[in-house]
Amino acid sequence: MPTITEDCIDGFQQYYSRPPEMPKKKSIKQMIYDAEENSYFGRTIESWAKIGIFYIIFYGVLGALVAICMWAFFLTLDPRIPKWKLESSIIGTNPGLGFRPLPPVDNVESTLIWYKGTQYENYKHWTDSLDEFLEVYKVPGLTPGRGQNIYNCDYNQPPPRGQVCDVDIKSWAPCTKENNYSYHKSSPCIFLKLNKIYDWRPDFYNNSQTLPADMPSSLKNHISELEKTDPIKLNKIFGWMPEVYESPINEMPSNLVNVINNTAAEERQQIWVSCNGHLGKDKENFQNISYYPRQGFPIYYYPYLNQPGYLSPIVAVQIKSPPLGTMLDVECRAWAKNIIYSGSLRDRMGSVTFQLLID
Amino acid sequence: MALRSDYEPHLERADSYRVATVIATDDDNRTADGHFKSRRKMPTKAAKKENLDDLKQELDIDHHKISPEEMYQRFQTHPENGLSHAKAKENLERDGPNALTPPKQTPEWVKFCKNLFGGFAMLLWIGAILCFVAYSIQATTSEEPSDDNLYLGIVLSAVVIVTGIFSYYQESKSSKIMESFKNMVPQFATVIREGEKLTLRAEDLVLGDVVEVKFGDRIPADIRIIEARNFKVDNSSLTGESEPQSRGSEFTHENPLETKNLAFFSTNAVEGTAKGVVISCGDHTVMGRIAGLASGLDTGETPIAKEIHHFIHLITGVAVFLGVTFFVIAFILGYHWLDAVIFLIGIIVANVPEGLLATVTVCLTLTAKRMASKNCLVKNLEAVETLGSTSTICSDKTGTLTQNRMTVAHMWFDNQIIEADTTEDQSGVQYDRTSPGFKALSRIATLCNRAEFKGGQDGVPILKKEVSGDASEAALLKCMELALGDVMNIRKRNRKIAEVPFNSTNKYQVSIHETEDPNDPRVLLVMKGAPERILERCSTIFINGKEKVLDEEMKEAFNNAYMELGGLGERVLGFCDFMLPSDKYPTGYKYNTDDINFPIDNLRFVGLMSMIDPPRAAVPDAVAKCRSAGIKVIMVTGDHPITAKAIAKSVGIISEGNETIEDIAQRLNIPISEVNPREAKAAVVHGAELRDVSSDQLDEILRYHTEIVFARTSPQQKLIIVEGCQRMGAIVAVTGDGVNDSPALKKADIGVAMGIAGSDVSKQAADMILLDDNFASIVTGVEEGRLIFDNLKKSIAYTLTSNIPEISPFLAFILCDIPLPLGTVTILCIDLGTDMVPAISLAYEHAEADIMKRPPRDPFNDKLVNSRLISMAYGQIGMIQAAAGFFVYFVIMAENGFLPMKLFGIRKMWDSKAVNDLTDSYGQEWTYRDRKTLEYTCHTAFFISIVVVQWADLIICKTRRNSIFHQGMRNWALNFGLVFETVLAAFLSYCPGMDKGLRMYPLKLVWWFPAIPFMLAIFVYDETRRFYLRRNPGGWLEQETYY
Repeated sequence: MPTITEDCIDGFQQYYSRPPEMPKKKSIKQMIYDAEENSYFGRTIESWAKIGIFYIIFYGVLGALVAICMWAFFLTLDPRIPKWKLESSIIGTNPGLGFRPLPPVDNVESTLIWYKGTQYENYKHWTDSLDEFLEVYKVPGLTPGRGQNIYNCDYNQPPPRGQVCDVDIKSWAPCTKENNYSYHKSSPCIFLKLNKIYDWRPDFYNNSQTLPADMPSSLKNHISELEKTDPIKLNKIFGWMPEVYESPINEMPSNLVNVINNTAAEERQQIWVSCNGHLGKDKENFQNISYYPRQGFPIYYYPYLNQPGYLSPIVAVQIKSPPLGTMLDVECRAWAKNIIYSGSLRDRMGSVTFQLLID
Repeated sequence: MALRSDYEPHLERADSYRVATVIATDDDNRTADGHFKSRRKMPTKAAKKENLDDLKQELDIDHHKISPEEMYQRFQTHPENGLSHAKAKENLERDGPNALTPPKQTPEWVKFCKNLFGGFAMLLWIGAILCFVAYSIQATTSEEPSDDNLYLGIVLSAVVIVTGIFSYYQESKSSKIMESFKNMVPQFATVIREGEKLTLRAEDLVLGDVVEVKFGDRIPADIRIIEARNFKVDNSSLTGESEPQSRGSEFTHENPLETKNLAFFSTNAVEGTAKGVVISCGDHTVMGRIAGLASGLDTGETPIAKEIHHFIHLITGVAVFLGVTFFVIAFILGYHWLDAVIFLIGIIVANVPEGLLATVTVCLTLTAKRMASKNCLVKNLEAVETLGSTSTICSDKTGTLTQNRMTVAHMWFDNQIIEADTTEDQSGVQYDRTSPGFKALSRIATLCNRAEFKGGQDGVPILKKEVSGDASEAALLKCMELALGDVMNIRKRNRKIAEVPFNSTNKYQVSIHETEDPNDPRVLLVMKGAPERILERCSTIFINGKEKVLDEEMKEAFNNAYMELGGLGERVLGFCDFMLPSDKYPTGYKYNTDDINFPIDNLRFVGLMSMIDPPRAAVPDAVAKCRSAGIKVIMVTGDHPITAKAIAKSVGIISEGNETIEDIAQRLNIPISEVNPREAKAAVVHGAELRDVSSDQLDEILRYHTEIVFARTSPQQKLIIVEGCQRMGAIVAVTGDGVNDSPALKKADIGVAMGIAGSDVSKQAADMILLDDNFASIVTGVEEGRLIFDNLKKSIAYTLTSNIPEISPFLAFILCDIPLPLGTVTILCIDLGTDMVPAISLAYEHAEADIMKRPPRDPFNDKLVNSRLISMAYGQIGMIQAAAGFFVYFVIMAENGFLPMKLFGIRKMWDSKAVNDLTDSYGQEWTYRDRKTLEYTCHTAFFISIVVVQWADLIICKTRRNSIFHQGMRNWALNFGLVFETVLAAFLSYCPGMDKGLRMYPLKLVWWFPAIPFMLAIFVYDETRRFYLRRNPGGWLEQETYY
C-alpha cells in the first residue's frame, strides 16, 4: 500500500544530475546570448521584463516612501530658523574665522595666497575673487531684502528688529577694489570674517578683571577706567552673558591689549581680532600690520538671526611689505570671552591660518 | 627514507589501487622471489609507476606459498631459535619500527597561515596595506597628517588576525577530538630470539622474528603461521567478516587474505595459540597498506566548503569589480589618486562581510556540539553540513544496522516455528516455555554448549553480557539463560562426562552428560550441528512429547522449516539427543572421544534453532526517515547475500512489496535472464558479480534500482560503489568500522566511523564518529545538517543585507559629492559588532517545516548563496535599509542646517581643512572641526539606523516561507541578539570617549526614530512577500525571491 510518503520517495529518489560542462568560450558566449533558450544573460526577454517591472514597482514604492518621509520631515523644519541652535546644534557656540581671498576651487585643500606683486595677471585671481566676495557689500540690492532693511548701526544704536547693520566698505581704504586691495604694492589685504552662528552673541573683553593674565597693565587700567566712568553701560551689555567664559585661558598678545586700551570705551564692544605669524620666525617678519576699519567685529552685528540681507562684519588686514620670497604663515584669532581657541589643524577653533607668499 | 616516499599521498593512488587489486586477485605471482629485495632497492622512479608496482604487490606476496624452509632461509631465521639479536638489530635499523606511520599532518603554521590569508582575509589585507601606504604618503607630504588611515589599517589588520586566530582555534579544537581516540597503551609481543623467549614492544618486531600469539592477543605484525593449536582469528577489522576464522600452518589458498597460514597485523586472536614468522612489518603489512591507501586518497572539498568558496568568489568578485570601477570613476572625476585609493579601501571594507566567516564557523561549531550530544562526534566542522546534503548512505551492516550480536531468532520444535525475542530490551514476543518439545530442545542447547559468561558482570543485562566462545554458542547461551534462568547451575547438575568439539569436517558437536534425575542411571547424549548432518544421524523425531519415526513426511516438514529459516538469512542449527541405555553404558564407562565408542547414529531429532544478528530497534524507523527525506540507503556488507537481504528487508532498506530480479523470476517462474531488470526496484548484488561489472553497468544498477544491497563486497568494491554514487552526482555518506572500510570512508563525502567497534584507522579516515554505533544517530545528524544549511542561508541573508547600506554611502560620496554618510570604522562596528550575535543566533532557529520530509538539496543548483538570496538581500531589503540610512543622514544634516540640496557637490569643500567657514542653508558658517563632528554624528546615526532596520531584517530572516506569527519568537538566542545589538549600538554612541576612539558621537533620542518607518516597511514587505509565496507555491515570486 503506497502511502503518501512512499509516493514521495520514488519522486525524490533520483540523483541530481551534474550540469553539463561547456567549453569556456562557448559558455561565455552562451552567457550573453543563449540561442537554445533564447535568453540574454541567463534570462529571456520576458523574464527580464518581469523582473524589471517588479523592481521598478519596488523601487517606485520605496521612492514614494522616502518622499513621504522627507515631506513629513520638511514640515517640521522652519526655512529661516535652524531646528537646533547653539548648544543643541552640532555647530555649537564657538565660531571660527574665515578669510578671503581663497585659493582657486581646484586647489581647495590649500590656504596659500601666492602671487607676484608686479604682475597684474598673476594677482588677478586674488583681486577678482575679492571683488566677487565684496560684491554684496558694495551693491546692497544683491542681498536678499534688496537692501531695504539696512540700518546704520552704532554701539549705542543696535539694529531694530528685522533690520541689519550696514557694512561700510569705504572705511576699508586702502583695502579697496580701486586700490587693487594693495596687492600690486606687495602689501596685500586679507579680509577676515567671523563665522555666523545663528543666535550667537559675543562676550567681549571690556572688564579689566577678566582680561587675560598677561594683558599689559595699560590696557587693564584703561578698562578699569571705563568701568568707573560708565559702569551701567557695561552691566547692561554683560547682563545676559554666561559666566563660564570668565577666565580666559589663552594669552592675548600685548599689541592687541594695547589696541584695546587705546580704543574708546564705547568702541570696545567688539570681538577683537589679531593676526600674527604662526611660528616664531614668522612673528619676527610680521610687524607691520593694519586692521581696517577697526581691529574687531562690533557687537551690534550680533546676534545673527538669518535676517534677510544680513552682512557679516569684515576686518581687512593689511600686511605691509612682508619679506618677499619667504612664505609667511599667518594665524588670525578672534578674541571674546566665549570664543575658545585651539590652534591644531584638525581641531582648529576660534582662529584661522593662511600662508602668504609674494615673489 | 626511500620507503616512506611510497606512502606519501598521491592523487593517482585511488585508481592505481583499484586497478591493482581488481586485476590482481587471481594474478600469478611472477615476481615471486624479488618481492622484498626489489622493494628495498626500489629506486625513486616516477611516482606513479612505483605506486602501481607497490600496490600490485599487495596481494602478490608469496610468503604463504613457499615452503617453510625456504621462508626460514629468506629471513635468515629459525623456527625454534628465532633471529639472532644482531640480525634483529640490523633489520630494525634497516626497516624502522613496526608501526603504522601516522598520516602526514599539515604543519600547524601552514594551517594558521591558511586561516590568516584564506577567504576574505586577502581582500582585507589589501585594504590594510592600502591604508598604510596612504598613511605613509600623507605622513611624508603633510606636516600634520591625519592618522585616520593608520588607524584604519591597524584595525583592519587586527580584524584579519583576530578572525584568523579564531578560526584556527576552532579548527584545532575539533581536530583534537581525534587525539582522544589514540590508543596509548603499548602493545607487547612474545618473541623468540636466539632460542630465548622475550617480551618486546610490538614496535621492536622485525622481519623474520618468530612470535607466539595466544587468544586475546592482537597480532603484532603480518605473520606466517608455522604452528597452531586450535587457532582462530577475527579478521573483521580487515575484511569485515565477523566470523572468527581458524588458522593453521597449511597453505590453502592463492589469495593471501584467504589462505590459512597467514595472520594479519592488528587483527585479533580469539582462540588457541600459534607460532609464526613475521613476514611484513609496519606500513608494509596489509593493514598498513590499506591505511596508507586511505590517507593517500584525495577527498576533495566538502559541499559546504564548495559553497563557501563559491560565495567568497562571488563577494570578492563584486568587491573587486566595484572597487576598481569606482577607483577608475574617481580618477575620471578628477580625484587625487590618494583619494581614489581611500575610496577603494572604503568599498572593500564595506563589501566584505568581515564577520561572516567567523559566524559560519560558530554556527557550525554550535551544531557540531549539538550533534555530539546526540552521539555524532564531528571531526571536521564542515562535515556537519555534508551530512545534511547527503543523498545516499552506504551503510555497513554489522554493528551499524544490526546489534552485532548473534541472537536466537527462531526455533522449530513440535513441527512449528516459534519466534524468539530479538529486541535489545526484550520487549518482543513471548513464547510457551512449558511444552515438552521446548524443554528437550532447551536441554540440548544448554548442555551441548561450551560458551560461558565472563566473570564479574553481575549487574549487566543478560543480552549485554560478554561471553567467551563463538557467536552462535553465545547466542544459545543467552537465549537459554533468558528462558531457563541460571544455565551454569543446570550444567553443574548435568555434569559433562565427555565431549566431541565442533569441527568443520564433522559439522557437529556432541557431549555426554549425567542427568539431573538421580533415579535415572542413564546418561544423556546431546548433539548439535548443521541441520542436514544432524538429521542424517536421526531415526526418530520428538513431537508433542512423543517420539515418532522420522518418516518422509517429517523430513519434508523439517526441510520446509529449514528452508524457511535459512531464507530469512538466519544461521540454523539442528539439535538431537539420545538417552544411552544404562546397561551398555554404565556409570564409569570410558567414553573415547577420538575413537568414538558410543552411538552417534539413530538419535532422536528434537528441533532447530536459528540465529541472526538482529537489526537495532531504532534502525527501521531511521531508514524510513531517510527514505522520506529522499536519501537512498544502500547496504554494503561483507556478509552473505541472503543474510544481507533478510536484514535489508527487516530494516526497510528493501521495502515490503519490492522485489529483486530473483524474486520476480521466482514468482513468474522464469529464468532470471528473461526478467527485465528495470522492473525490479530492489537489487541484491553479489561481490562476485560486481567484479565483472563495468562502471557503466554499475551506474545502471545505481540509477535504476532504488533499493540496493551489495553483499560479499571487498574493500576496493566499496570504494568503487562510493565512486559510482559520486559519479551519479550523489553526496555519499559511508559508514564503516573496519580497516577495510577506511578507503571508502575517506573517499566518501562524509565518512562515518563507529565509536565503539571502529578501528583506529577507520576513525582516522572518517569525518564523523558515531559514539553509539547506531545508524539512527546518522538520521539526527542529517536533520541537524539540513537545519544548519537552512539557518546558514538565513544568517548569510541577514549579514549580506547590511552590505548595501554600507556600500551605498561610499557610492553616494563619490557620485553625488556629498559628505560621507557612513565611515569605515562604523562599517566595521556593524560587521564585527552589532551584526555578529544576531547572525549567530539564527543558528538556533527551529526548522520551518519538517526538513526530513523533503529531498536532499541539489548540490549543483541549490547553492548556499544563490542569485535569489543576493537579489533579496542586496536588491530589496538592503535597498530599504540604505534608504533608511540616507533618510536619517539627511534628517540630521537638515536639522543642523544643511538641507539636502545644499549637500550635493559640497564634498570637496566639506572635506577641506582649508575651508574654515562653510555656509549652510541657514547662513551659518561651519568650521572644519564642527563639520566633521556633524559628519561623524551622521555616521553614528546611519549606524544606529542600520541597527534599527536590522531588527526587522533579523525577524524576517527567521523564516524563508512561513509567517513570523507562525514561527513565533521562541528563539531566545535571537531575542537576546536583538537586545544585544541595540545595547551595543547605544553603548558605542553614548559611552564617553567614543568620540575620540571610534568617532562615534552621542545622538539625540529623536534621531533613532527616522529609521522606524523603514523598519516597518521591511517587515510588512517581507511578510507580504512570504504570504504570496505560501499562497502561490512555485509561482513567479518564489522563483525570483525564495532563497
